[in-house]
Amino acid sequence: MKTAALFAGLAAATLVGTAGFASDLFDRIEAGRYQAILGDCSACHTRPGGKPFAGGEPLETPFGRLVPSNITPDPETGIGRWSYEDFRSALKRGIGKDGKRLYPAMPYPAYSSMSDSDIADLWAYFQKVEPVSNRVVSNQLPFPFSIRTVMAGWNLLNFSPKEFQSDPAKSAEWNRGAYLVNGAGHCGTCHTPRSLTGADKGGEFLRGGNLQDWFAPSLTGDPHKGIGAWSKDDVVAYLKTGANRFDIASGPMAEAVAQSTSKWADSDLQAVATYLKDVKSDGTAAPKPVAADEQAMVSGKAVYFDRCSACHVSSGQGQPSLFPTLAKAPLVNSTDPSSLIRVVLAGSQAVGTAAKPTTPAMPSFAWNLDDAAVANVLTYVRNSWGNAAPAVTPGQVKDMRASLRK
Amino acid sequence: MPLRPQSRRQFLSSTGMLLLAASMPASAAEHSGTLPWRPFAALPPDPLPGGRWYVFTPEEARTVEAIVDRIVPSDDLSIGGKEAGCASFIDRQLAGSYGTSDRLYMQGPFMPGLPTQGYQGSAAPAARYRDGLAALNKHSRDKLGGKAFFELAPAEQDQVLKDFEAGKVEYKASAGFFNLVLQNTMEGFFADPIYGGNKDMAGWKFIGFPGARYDYRDYVTAHNKPFPLPPLSIGGRPEWKTGSR
Repeated sequence: MKTAALFAGLAAATLVGTAGFASDLFDRIEAGRYQAILGDCSACHTRPGGKPFAGGEPLETPFGRLVPSNITPDPETGIGRWSYEDFRSALKRGIGKDGKRLYPAMPYPAYSSMSDSDIADLWAYFQKVEPVSNRVVSNQLPFPFSIRTVMAGWNLLNFSPKEFQSDPAKSAEWNRGAYLVNGAGHCGTCHTPRSLTGADKGGEFLRGGNLQDWFAPSLTGDPHKGIGAWSKDDVVAYLKTGANRFDIASGPMAEAVAQSTSKWADSDLQAVATYLKDVKSDGTAAPKPVAADEQAMVSGKAVYFDRCSACHVSSGQGQPSLFPTLAKAPLVNSTDPSSLIRVVLAGSQAVGTAAKPTTPAMPSFAWNLDDAAVANVLTYVRNSWGNAAPAVTPGQVKDMRASLRK
Repeated sequence: MPLRPQSRRQFLSSTGMLLLAASMPASAAEHSGTLPWRPFAALPPDPLPGGRWYVFTPEEARTVEAIVDRIVPSDDLSIGGKEAGCASFIDRQLAGSYGTSDRLYMQGPFMPGLPTQGYQGSAAPAARYRDGLAALNKHSRDKLGGKAFFELAPAEQDQVLKDFEAGKVEYKASAGFFNLVLQNTMEGFFADPIYGGNKDMAGWKFIGFPGARYDYRDYVTAHNKPFPLPPLSIGGRPEWKTGSR
């Protein structure tokens, strides 16, 4: 009698358990899909126009070429033979299946602070991704960087796996924002300056970084080089639609907005804004602007009025949602002018999102402006209307031209 | 106006054409999502470099220089057509598709047109210059003591040109040739300097044309004041380098 009752009870529990498991699994896969969006996995692991997660475009790092791997569940060429532990270890410690060390172009230093439950969700999702047979030779680095165990030393120097520590003194929203910015969102991968070994400079978190000839500006509250003038709503609008009253995303941030942040939950964007508005700047004062009567400024002004003012307006105000404001813009006031030189030479297309589908583009001026003219017009832009930043030299323009034409 | 009622046959045949057209594979590029874009995309003008003659022989070049300097003589208002580079402009244009009429329908039939329709013959501009310049110098040598056109005094040159314009020259396309040179000289004097004429934007400074500019919003409300900026070429202006406004 007792046994029968036990069996009946077990059977019932199993039934309930199975049903619960099925819907639970669906929820976990969906949650994992969202984690993949937060982490923007496809930015690197999907080739433009290619099968999702089947391997991406080569990354040209300062150390050599790396090709993002196939992370579909294909057993031969993807991660089909990986266990959950292998997957977790790759994200948490930068060590994949069979102890194979990842290169930190894969932002595991950021992903290491993702929670186990979020990683488990992501794992559930990646097991349901369509398996694609596509062999990727990830490691195309030159010696000695081609030796993966070199990364053990790198990790020793630059990386300690860390769990996200919430700050009880801050609000739940702030902590959610901190978790997203530091973890899955891996904002610091571009926006934090790198050391000589290619690691984040921990003490300079989100103060602006240079990656692949783009400079990602400071996200701190710096009123001159950062987003001190942006309200929370400005931050949310930028991440959700690609544009706010000051700026419109282009370059690598256009991809980040299109594929990732525009698909984040509004509550998560609010949390990110709350956190970012609280990130402290380095506190350095703005430099003195280059004097308006210097030759470079006067020449640059002539170029600006002839080639730039039709869109960016003679006062540098631009047009909301179409042409970025140049006056008091973080990127314009940044010490590193790489992104500015780059967009003047090559042009740039702004992001298109469901909310802002226009994709206005800046034309290329490489054919029309010589190195001195590009340098002068940027020196003028960087030192007018309240802006102040070091003058751009023709040599910097020459180097960027050569680098982009490679 | 009332529409003419369509017959059943017309309706069926037009519908059939429509269906046929719709079922054919589209040959135009199709885009979805965001607009296509690539870095360094530009279609800059690709003018021939100066410093040499492409089409004209030395004698032809000297002849054209003499003509353009009579059509736009140098005076206290502006430099002349020769110094402005009009002959070089014409030479470079003749070296391109304009000279060969490559981009025009040139298969005939060639019918006499109305005067307002311009030249209707089968010769392309490069050939018309060759014939026209030869006729000009022949006329000049025959009538004015064996001198080529460019060797004549300015008043004599004017007289030869007037004879050409009036069709008094024994040359079948003479009237058309004068109008051709007149048109091309004006083009050379006022076209963007990157094409070889309008040296230092002299033609634009002469008439107060601001050049290849596209933004006047700061000035549209400044009534009765001269536009303050100097003219601008596609290739830029000297102030980009010298720094003076």
